[in-house]
Amino acid sequence: MAAVELVQLTKRYGTQAVVDAVDLTIAHGELVCLLGPSGCGKTTTLRLIAGFIEPSDGEIRVGDRLISSIDRTLPPEARNMSMIFQSYALWPHMTVADNVAYGLKLRKIEREVIATRVTQALRTVRLEALAGRYPGELSGGQQQRVALARALIVEPETLLLDEPLSNLDAHLREEMRFEVRRLHDQYRYTTVYVTHDQSEAMTTADRIVVMNLGRIEQAGTPEDLYDRPNSEFVARFIGGTNVLKGRALDAQHLEAGPLKLRCGDGGALSPGSAAAVSVRHHHIQLSAQPLAEATNVARAKVMRQVFLGASRDYLVTVGDGEPLRVVTPSNVNMPAGADVWLRLPPEHCRALSR
Amino acid sequence: MTSIALPAPAARRRTLDLSRPVLLFFAAFLALLIGLPMGWLVYFSLTDASGAPTIANFYTVVTEPQFLTPFLTTLTLAVSVGFIACAVATPVGWLVARTDMPMRREVRALVMASFVTPPFLGAIAWEILAAPNSGILNHVWRAVTGAETDEHLFNIYSLTGLIFVIACYTFPYVFVLVTNALDRIPAELEDASSILGAKTWYTMRRITVPLVLPAMLAGSLVAFLQAMTLFGSPAILALPAGFHTMTTRIWSLFQFPPKPGLAAAAALPLLIITILLLRAQARILGRRGYAIVGGKYGQPRLVQLGRWKWVALAVCVVVLCLPVFLPYAALIKAAFTRLPSDPLTFDTLTLKHLKFVFFEFSQTRLALQNTVILGIASATIGTVLALVIAYVTARQAIAGHRILGFLATAPVAIPGIVLGVGLFLAYTRPPLVLYGTLWILLLAYLTIELPAAYQQLQSAFRAVHPELEEASRILGATRLRALRDVTAPLLRSGVIAAWCFIFIGVMRELSAAVMLFTANTRVISVVIYDLNESGDLGSISILGLTMLIVTFAVVLLVNRLPGTGGPRPAGS
Repeated sequence: MAAVELVQLTKRYGTQAVVDAVDLTIAHGELVCLLGPSGCGKTTTLRLIAGFIEPSDGEIRVGDRLISSIDRTLPPEARNMSMIFQSYALWPHMTVADNVAYGLKLRKIEREVIATRVTQALRTVRLEALAGRYPGELSGGQQQRVALARALIVEPETLLLDEPLSNLDAHLREEMRFEVRRLHDQYRYTTVYVTHDQSEAMTTADRIVVMNLGRIEQAGTPEDLYDRPNSEFVARFIGGTNVLKGRALDAQHLEAGPLKLRCGDGGALSPGSAAAVSVRHHHIQLSAQPLAEATNVARAKVMRQVFLGASRDYLVTVGDGEPLRVVTPSNVNMPAGADVWLRLPPEHCRALSR
Repeated sequence: MTSIALPAPAARRRTLDLSRPVLLFFAAFLALLIGLPMGWLVYFSLTDASGAPTIANFYTVVTEPQFLTPFLTTLTLAVSVGFIACAVATPVGWLVARTDMPMRREVRALVMASFVTPPFLGAIAWEILAAPNSGILNHVWRAVTGAETDEHLFNIYSLTGLIFVIACYTFPYVFVLVTNALDRIPAELEDASSILGAKTWYTMRRITVPLVLPAMLAGSLVAFLQAMTLFGSPAILALPAGFHTMTTRIWSLFQFPPKPGLAAAAALPLLIITILLLRAQARILGRRGYAIVGGKYGQPRLVQLGRWKWVALAVCVVVLCLPVFLPYAALIKAAFTRLPSDPLTFDTLTLKHLKFVFFEFSQTRLALQNTVILGIASATIGTVLALVIAYVTARQAIAGHRILGFLATAPVAIPGIVLGVGLFLAYTRPPLVLYGTLWILLLAYLTIELPAAYQQLQSAFRAVHPELEEASRILGATRLRALRDVTAPLLRSGVIAAWCFIFIGVMRELSAAVMLFTANTRVISVVIYDLNESGDLGSISILGLTMLIVTFAVVLLVNRLPGTGGPRPAGS
């Protein structure tokens, strides 16, 4: 069975490397999300896998087959892949059924077989009733599902999705995330999913690959990335966090302005050098009473407080340092301007390696 | 894993390299098409009869009154037309695009109808209407006021008359640009001004007008260029009045004894002015500050005219009388009465012009045949040419696509009469002696019509999202298969439009044809022009109307041609 393997994959436009020596193996049947801000190289990586562009260096293998390298690139039509495009790319001059049947017609499959399988595919995405419609007559969510059916019906070795949900409204987007996951659980295609939306990636992916500036920042399961980010970029991009910067005192302690912190998580610090620590918003505790501990406690002032129903969102400052964001249960209620004490539990202070 | 077998990858990639020869072939063809006539033009302007280099031709052109006077006349004509066209088209365009005036659609369609009218036919129609003695309007005026028979109200054979007639048929250029600009200005931009406290009039002045100003300027420039390079209307109206414009002067240099060197030298300034003005126009339209920026916008909101809307409609109808209603009425009347100025009674009705044109006049059949053959051939070859170039440039399929795009748009800067001179010089000598054949006319039409067809198809290609092709590729279709299954059907209407565009253009072309025709290669426009010299207005009207009917018939036919049950216009 075929895993997709990217080896030192590089794409340069002029001197600028848009994708920079990416190494990644996507196991058979795995759903991997490429996640990152716009311009991070995720879509270029996907288009390299699809064969729409040729690599400047490195190679792509599917199983033991070399499909892209500097010397030769298999055209997209010979890769046995399917793709769902950001614009859906439904052909406006064909009906829903014709759109879905297209890939099978190319494979010269008998007419009756095509008809059954189209019906089946449309049933899977719950669109049997709309087979005769044209794409222009469908809603955004329906168009999205046609695109899904069209991509899945050819039983591709590899399925590629390029920000497939970004054109849907928020409500539908949430629904479709689960739909994508459900279909993946049903068919288990090797899937590469490109998105810039963190929660979309977390809902759908077996494994998330965070990309930044053409390189892989960190790869892992959603839990891995959230609980154990290695870099400031990943910590901020997944879930949002406070990053405190200072100087390491020893392997576990660091001093950031008026704050002295013990880090119970992450790698060891190298004493004397610059260090950074990530503390999630909701891990910081607020107290109206002074706290007695020597480390991981600081006095702060509330700058802003917002009631969000289930929680309250605070912005506080410690001394004249960077403001910190704190999310508390909604019963912790302190007005703006109040003096408070913060507790940053050591087990949630993660030392970042970058 | 599944059904498709994988071909040997190495062989695949090599096939793409066919693109290089293809590019070279098309580039060479286009370069020859344009370069050869223009090269000969420059060569002739700089040599004397024996072939020795000289600047005597240019010296003559800039010193002798026979050139200077027409040059000044042309300048006056072009500037006046530019102003008038802009002054008339802008308010009408605003009424049509931005107000609740009744029958806006009809007005828009009728303005476009005046677009389709060949300018020389319009000029002849106005001859019928406003010639000093025989003009219908002057007859009516004399009948009403009892003026003497040698008095007249209008004299179309004058510079004023010429300006008027040319303005009638160039104001649609400004109209189209202005209405497009107005259509595209989102209501929010005006609303944003109102919400900040601006009154309607202030918003108009500070927001709306500045936003359409570039379109007005660009439109006026096009009108200016048209007026400068037209041959038909000045030849019909200025020559009887005894004055020349640049185009008629150039044409006269080909009357016996021909002076090709002088003609070439006189044509070059027209070419240079055209190029400069087109660059100016591109700059005006392309300025970044005027691009409408931002996200989603709603439909433009219409201004409520209230009681004034009927006044507005009346103004539009009066404006439309001049290029459309009156001329066509005049042509129809002239076609079916003995003399255009006869009163309209049952006694004066006649079919003799019809009989003459179709059964007695020997040139009709040949000219009709030539015109239709040339129209269909130019439209077909031109569309294919434009399609290939547009594909290459829109998809950036091969390196050097920019050169192709440039070559395909370059002819826009060559006035018909200048191209006529160039082609005449280029193809009356070996290696390619095409003068006297239909081929030279075909080359002329292809060159003249290519830019419009190319631009049409390029925007059609842009409207087809590349992902639509890619979706087909990734499902297993080759590049060609994707073109056939996806791109071709989606481009269908654009291709048909481009074809019709070229066909209509060929039917109405006179200025290049008049330089290139011979006894056996007359086309309808040339026959009409010849008949005008003999004053046979009735037959001209019949021929002109026939020409329009043939044009409409072919265009309708082409639009109905294959599988009408086909694609629906649905954008996703």
